[in-house]
Amino acid sequence: MTPLVPVSPARKVVLGLAFFALFVVAWSIVTFGGFVPKTFLADPWTMLHEGWLLFTQFGFAKDVGITIWRVLGGFILAAAVGVPLGIAMGAYKPIEAFFEPFVSFARYLPASAFIPLLILWAGIGELQKLLVIFIGSFFQIVLMVAVTVGSTRRDLVEAAYTLGAESAGIVRRVLLPSAAPSIAETLRLVLGWAWTYVIVAELIGASSGIGHMITDSQALLNTGQIIFGIILIGIVGLISDLSFKQANRALFPWAIV
Amino acid sequence: MSALAIDNVSRTFAGVHGGPPTQALLPTSIAVTDNDFITILGPSGCGKSTLLRIVAGLDTPTGGEVRLDGQTVRRPGADRGMVFQSYTLFPWLTVVENICFGLREKGMPQARQAEMAAHYVDKVGLRGFERHYPKMLSGGMQQRTAIARALANEPRILLLDEPFGALDNQTRSLMQELLLSIWESERKTVLFVTHDIEEAIFMANRVLVMSARPGRIKAEVAVPLGHPRHYTVKTSPEFSALKAQLTEQIRVEALKAA
Repeated sequence: MTPLVPVSPARKVVLGLAFFALFVVAWSIVTFGGFVPKTFLADPWTMLHEGWLLFTQFGFAKDVGITIWRVLGGFILAAAVGVPLGIAMGAYKPIEAFFEPFVSFARYLPASAFIPLLILWAGIGELQKLLVIFIGSFFQIVLMVAVTVGSTRRDLVEAAYTLGAESAGIVRRVLLPSAAPSIAETLRLVLGWAWTYVIVAELIGASSGIGHMITDSQALLNTGQIIFGIILIGIVGLISDLSFKQANRALFPWAIV
Repeated sequence: MSALAIDNVSRTFAGVHGGPPTQALLPTSIAVTDNDFITILGPSGCGKSTLLRIVAGLDTPTGGEVRLDGQTVRRPGADRGMVFQSYTLFPWLTVVENICFGLREKGMPQARQAEMAAHYVDKVGLRGFERHYPKMLSGGMQQRTAIARALANEPRILLLDEPFGALDNQTRSLMQELLLSIWESERKTVLFVTHDIEEAIFMANRVLVMSARPGRIKAEVAVPLGHPRHYTVKTSPEFSALKAQLTEQIRVEALKAA
């Protein structure tokens, strides 16, 4: 191995899958080998079987659908408000001076700590779930987008000025396109975090969703179902992450040439 | 009548961490007439880039003023096109889109934009690279695009801040010839900043020599070489004499700065 020398695409995939395989092998050894009681950790086979039962007999597909809907709903709301605000803050320093201290403070407030309050305000319906995700994502998006836009190369801005651009043109034709790939990358990152908030929101006061299934299974000591739920979240997260990456590549060919 | 008047322009930068302020530019006056090709030659850190940035409107003078056709310059504008030393093509735009940036900003119709772009793509020899992104181009090609982008905007005056400074010697020579041939055919008014003596002589009608910091115009040397200029002129006795003269001037200043 030489530092920073890239691996071939095929080798990259093989290496990536190898660790998954290793993980499953280790898991099989400790469970099938009887090193860990079944009550604490189900073996891979039981986990798959429980997963099959969940989908065929307990209508789990609906729970998965609801969870995905909540994540996307809360995330899109947060992005729809957060991205424009972040852009305004990055571009115009007085706006940044006005919002930045509060946003930095709010960023540290844990979204999960708001759940009791949100239940009080919005009940245990869908709105409350969306709000948890919104609070968890919004401030992060605003701050990261503001930093991205604010760090646009100054020489590009100056070049645009000498070509006759005015304020609006600078924002629209320099700051925005220059920041777009990083903004998309920020959204990809925050979507990952939104997934953790949704499960927390569903663990408390929910009657549907993957998180709700996990609390139910806990009551029944069904570790197979719990692990299946967790792995499913991982898989869905991975898929959304990969599609985000693909979309970014298609949208911003100039950034990866 | 002078197109551009730099009238007693000076620039002092505020001190860093309560230190004394730095005087970058002593009051300087230059009169640029139409079709002038003036090079400003000086050692690094002499304030020549500061002077050019003030003309562009990207920096504000501490004293004096710059007038373009009698109008005081307060901010950057399309009438003063600029080519920077660093690569400043917009990475998300193709060569043609970069060239059209200023035209689009003016609201020029698409068809006319395409015509202009094609004309300048030809001028700088980039045919076949219209759809390339800047990252796919060599440094020389990027600077050629930057020149085309500035020219397509049809500025009153073209400002160049060591545009070939980051290029290797061979590419630099070719770029000098290219820019000179464009100037010979289009008769633009040009203000060109450089620290390269040969470049300063080869390109210019007049060379202004700046002193070490704080900068001021120390000497003005007319370049009586005819046009069209061929690169072989660099080996002529007249060229050598000018070079010897300017080398001596610059050497004194470089010693002060070093």
